[in-house]
Amino acid sequence: MSDFLSYVLNGLAVGCGFALLASGLVTIHRVTGVVNFAQAMFAVVAGLTAGSALGAGLPHGAAELAGVAIAVIAGLLTGLAAVGRRGTTPQSALIVTLGVGILAYAVEIAIWGDQPRSFAGLPGSLEVGGVAIQWQYLLVIGVAAAVFAALALFFARTDRGKALTACASDPYGARLVGIDVLRMSLIAFALGGGLGGIAGVLVTPLQPISFDSDVALIVNGFAAAIMGGLNRPGPALAGGLLLGVAEALVAGYGNAAHQTEIALVLMLAIMIWRAVRTPVVQEETV
Amino acid sequence: MSRVTRRIALGIGAAVTLALPLVLDSGQLSIYILLGLTAIVTVGLSMLMGYAGQVSLGQAAFYGIGAYTAGLLALHGWPPLIGLVAAPLAAALAALVLGVPLLRLRGHHLAFATLAMQLILLSIADNQAWMGGSIGLQGIPQLSLGSLEFDTDMSYAYVTWIALAGVVLTARNVIQSRPGRALRALATSEVAAESAGIPVGRYKLTVFALSAGFAGLAGGIYAFYLGYVSPGSFPILLSVGYVVMVVVGGLGTIWGALAGTAAVTLLVQLLNQLGTRDGVPGWLPSVLSYAVYAVLLIAVVLYLPRGIVPALVSLRRRADS
Repeated sequence: MSDFLSYVLNGLAVGCGFALLASGLVTIHRVTGVVNFAQAMFAVVAGLTAGSALGAGLPHGAAELAGVAIAVIAGLLTGLAAVGRRGTTPQSALIVTLGVGILAYAVEIAIWGDQPRSFAGLPGSLEVGGVAIQWQYLLVIGVAAAVFAALALFFARTDRGKALTACASDPYGARLVGIDVLRMSLIAFALGGGLGGIAGVLVTPLQPISFDSDVALIVNGFAAAIMGGLNRPGPALAGGLLLGVAEALVAGYGNAAHQTEIALVLMLAIMIWRAVRTPVVQEETV
Repeated sequence: MSRVTRRIALGIGAAVTLALPLVLDSGQLSIYILLGLTAIVTVGLSMLMGYAGQVSLGQAAFYGIGAYTAGLLALHGWPPLIGLVAAPLAAALAALVLGVPLLRLRGHHLAFATLAMQLILLSIADNQAWMGGSIGLQGIPQLSLGSLEFDTDMSYAYVTWIALAGVVLTARNVIQSRPGRALRALATSEVAAESAGIPVGRYKLTVFALSAGFAGLAGGIYAFYLGYVSPGSFPILLSVGYVVMVVVGGLGTIWGALAGTAAVTLLVQLLNQLGTRDGVPGWLPSVLSYAVYAVLLIAVVLYLPRGIVPALVSLRRRADS
């Protein structure tokens, strides 16, 4: 039983990482219509930066903030490449973000090399009912909860958040009422970069990351985001948690080698199920 | 270009590529072979992306299926020719089976789905003992036809040339046929194509299988050429590289796929040679090749969205008129 509980907690923490990544994908997609392939790159860059900052003697907290700040800048640059040029369709933008992801490989290898890196998170653990829970797991879960609450408030209650949503539902209408769509798109990318960065600095202590960790991360993040049709953060959170727990249980009771397959098959099943239910005509009204 | 000049250009191209293996040294010959194999894959991918309007980020999976099919059959004592024939068939069959559910998706959903498909297949190959696990298949025998042994790089260069020529001819005939026109129609609008009586689903599946078959054929030759395949031979980046080459050359044109493949491969090779000189840090070659892929991809998508070859053709037309 205590095994089961620790697997679930472990899975929840990892799932929160996926959900944070997914929230970045969702933020960018709902505002710009672009699926950002470079989303997991933000996490990798933030994690590696935080590690280097810690190595250079920065205290915890400041180092993580530095990582997230770099991720915000990476998000802004990605946004400039993907939507900065007028007339780039979301399909072209997807390919551009793919290119940005590969470009980041070059930069990451030049700076950090190609070996996986990690850094220590919060030390120690909390004893609850005979189960030891690492503080780092609780930190991940707590931060994710706070971020999702803040996101929900931001989109529902603030003018800026509503303007972002307006761009998503009707860019032309948004321009008519005086919203600068390009600026909103760049804000969305910067926000997405920050969310990816938060995921990166939280997850790196749990599992070492290297430049090419982004493939596994983006697939899991996309799988979580797809639950909400790439537009709603709530289902993305649920999806991330579900994935994290399912993978942790498979790794715990079965074969760790099969844990990504679970995520992938689940993602395929959900996408195909959704596609079968949505008629083609709806998707072509561009 | 008139029909005659096009024929002449084609003849010269064929003659030059046929003569090349005679003058290349062994290092250059292996680049020639790998370039040819890559071109076989990208011609198919260009049809899939340009005519069926579908992005595949998992094309290397079919390359891998072909390579494993050929390798496994050869290692179990089947004649290499059977393996070479079975490689494209197995890849096409896999695409037919996987395509039924996958092709219900489109756009970025299909891109992620094909990526996921490749990751799942890699993971399976990694864990199955009969597929050699993560070590892969070793000691795959040479290709042979009766008593004729293909044991030199030169012979593989010609096998590759013949395979590429066959693939180009097939693709050209498909594009110029009635189904080819139907494919162009469905790339523009599936709904319009469907209402004009085109069996959209069946045609998309056929192109998917055809492009997979091409990739499988290339994979089969690759397995015999190197004599060794492992899951590590077919990374996601290989699939991404194919997409880069197709996009750079120009979607939906055979010549675009060939030009894009040649340009990207040769550029990466050139930078690799610069990067492996003495006194240069060891990480430089990989950094340079990633940078080339990325910069080319971004620049072409943003500034030459139809690709280099179609852009050059329309430039010429404008100069002519």
